[in-house]
Amino acid sequence: MSREKLRQLGIDLPLFPTTSVGSFPKPDYLAKARTDFARKKISRADLEAVERRATEFWIRKQEELDVDVLVDGEMYRGDMVAYFAEKLSGFEQGGLVRSYGNRYYHKPIITGEVHWTSPMTIDWWKYAQGLTARPVKGMLTGPYTVMDWSFNEHYPDRRATCLALAVPIRQEVEALIEAGAKIIQIDEPASSVRPEELALIIEAMHVVTDGLPAYFISHLCYGDFETIYPAMLDLPVDNFDMEFSNSQLDMLSLFRKHRYTKDISFGVVDVHSHLVEPEPVVEERLRRGLDVLPKEAIWVDPDCGLKTRTVDEAIGKMKALVNVAKAFRN
Amino acid sequence: MELILANHGSYPRIGDDADGQLLRRAIAQREKSEKTDADVRAAEDRMTQLALGDQLEAGLEVVTDGQIRWYDPVSHLAGKLDGVTITGLLRFFDTNTYFRQPAVHDAIRRTKSLVVDEYLFARQKSSRPVKAVLTGPYTLAQLSIEAASRTNGGSGSGSAEGFARRFEGYTAALAEEVAALAQAGATMIQVDEPSILKHADDFPRFEQAVAALAARKGSAEFTLAVYFGDAAPLYDKLERLPVDVLGLDFTYSPSLVDRVAAGSAKKLALGLVDGRNTKLEDASVVAKELERIARASGLRQAYLTPSCGLEYLPRDRAQSKLRRLSTIKRTFSGSPA
Repeated sequence: MSREKLRQLGIDLPLFPTTSVGSFPKPDYLAKARTDFARKKISRADLEAVERRATEFWIRKQEELDVDVLVDGEMYRGDMVAYFAEKLSGFEQGGLVRSYGNRYYHKPIITGEVHWTSPMTIDWWKYAQGLTARPVKGMLTGPYTVMDWSFNEHYPDRRATCLALAVPIRQEVEALIEAGAKIIQIDEPASSVRPEELALIIEAMHVVTDGLPAYFISHLCYGDFETIYPAMLDLPVDNFDMEFSNSQLDMLSLFRKHRYTKDISFGVVDVHSHLVEPEPVVEERLRRGLDVLPKEAIWVDPDCGLKTRTVDEAIGKMKALVNVAKAFRN
Repeated sequence: MELILANHGSYPRIGDDADGQLLRRAIAQREKSEKTDADVRAAEDRMTQLALGDQLEAGLEVVTDGQIRWYDPVSHLAGKLDGVTITGLLRFFDTNTYFRQPAVHDAIRRTKSLVVDEYLFARQKSSRPVKAVLTGPYTLAQLSIEAASRTNGGSGSGSAEGFARRFEGYTAALAEEVAALAQAGATMIQVDEPSILKHADDFPRFEQAVAALAARKGSAEFTLAVYFGDAAPLYDKLERLPVDVLGLDFTYSPSLVDRVAAGSAKKLALGLVDGRNTKLEDASVVAKELERIARASGLRQAYLTPSCGLEYLPRDRAQSKLRRLSTIKRTFSGSPA
């Protein structure tokens, strides 16, 4: 485990550190405020006040649950790509497209040169970190995923688009570090979609992280990782945050064939199920992980962001995983 | 070369206006027990009619029901078959959409129709011919897992024997569905097999499935559609398959136009309009490609289609793509655009 790196950064974590992937469900009052804002019934300042209230709710809730590494819950984001597309120059908002089932998102359109014009997450990170003494992760979406989940009407090809996006994302990482963030998560859930492009993902991540003093996590999910493992271990990050529950721990068989060499944020609860897993179910998942992975390498978290669950479901799932992680420490 | 404008398959089931939100709202309200299954079916009917309306308004000569009722291209069919349980989410090829993965736990059997009712509804509501579309057995088998393999700690994709069993099961079930569609009066049936472009070495097995389905088509025109990959390396084999029409995605292959222009033994559905990106094609550029194909291939008739289903685009952009098909046809025919 990169505990030494964490210590050098001034962060001391217990065995099986608990965290979450990034998003939490928006409380009803925030959902209403977002609707009111969209209908121009309230101002942006009014909406932001409600977003701050919801962020504080989740920071307090994570502390209450005794989570080790906190997130701001992304109360101010609608979607993990669209949010950044709204902040970077060169994008237009696209219409709704389907993610799965009855879930949809606004897929952005790249229509010009992409540039970082101002900090995108710094104020929110500072606000969240200011509410707690526990470390709060900085959270960004990686260049490959922003590229893959956007329409492109400007750049000549995918490679040019991805590498162009890596530059402003590095600028945001630098700004997060400057603000004091020590743990930074760069989500690349699109990373398994085209195995032949893994080298591009790695090249772009080097642009984003090389030489920067932070512990880097990358969240990957819902892909066919058989096609990119073990080569994906070359991605220059310290920790892969991966879903295991939804896929019934399939990845472990790959880890048996080829040793896994990084830290791992091990998804022990399914974010696409309304069922709050009983603790014995979570224990069994973690136990199976321990058959293959060293305990020092394992962080414990949900499969993915919890934003699609209800507030009670999200709290229930977090509570289950924290209780199980604590029990395993003993 | 006569061009016939046809939709590929899926169409956005949501739009940004109030009408476009109808189905999403109905499903969300059903989850809260505020709406019934009948309400959702009514919303699906309405959205299907809107999808048909967009296609007809754009001048398409062959339309689809837009697969508005489909949860995804895999579980909508597999979930109706005995022996299959629907499980977790997995990304559908390199799209940012997800399907629920079927786990096969017993012999696959078709005990009811999969899409016949959907086809009949669309046909009743359309003034133009409706093409029925199915995801093919090879793709369903590739995107499924053996239920037992996970409990055994396996990788999930399972054994070669397990794959062969589910491939045969899906093939038999889909062949029955093709026959049922033909019996219901479908004059055009399309089977989508994107997976074969990722597993070219498995072509002999794939060929068996195509032959089994094509044998049950009756008098319907049978189209095999491949997409999300480069079809050029497989083209010689694809055009020898016992199908009436070969549907091709030109967006992944720099050489496919050349290959097709070199001659084609099959009627083709030319997916020259990108169904995955919002950028609108320059009609004159596509018309030139069509001229090359027409001049050299000897084809007398071809379909012009999007490269794949249009559900990956926002609805307003999908509409624009459909209209662009008409513009391209006019440009190709020498009429004012």
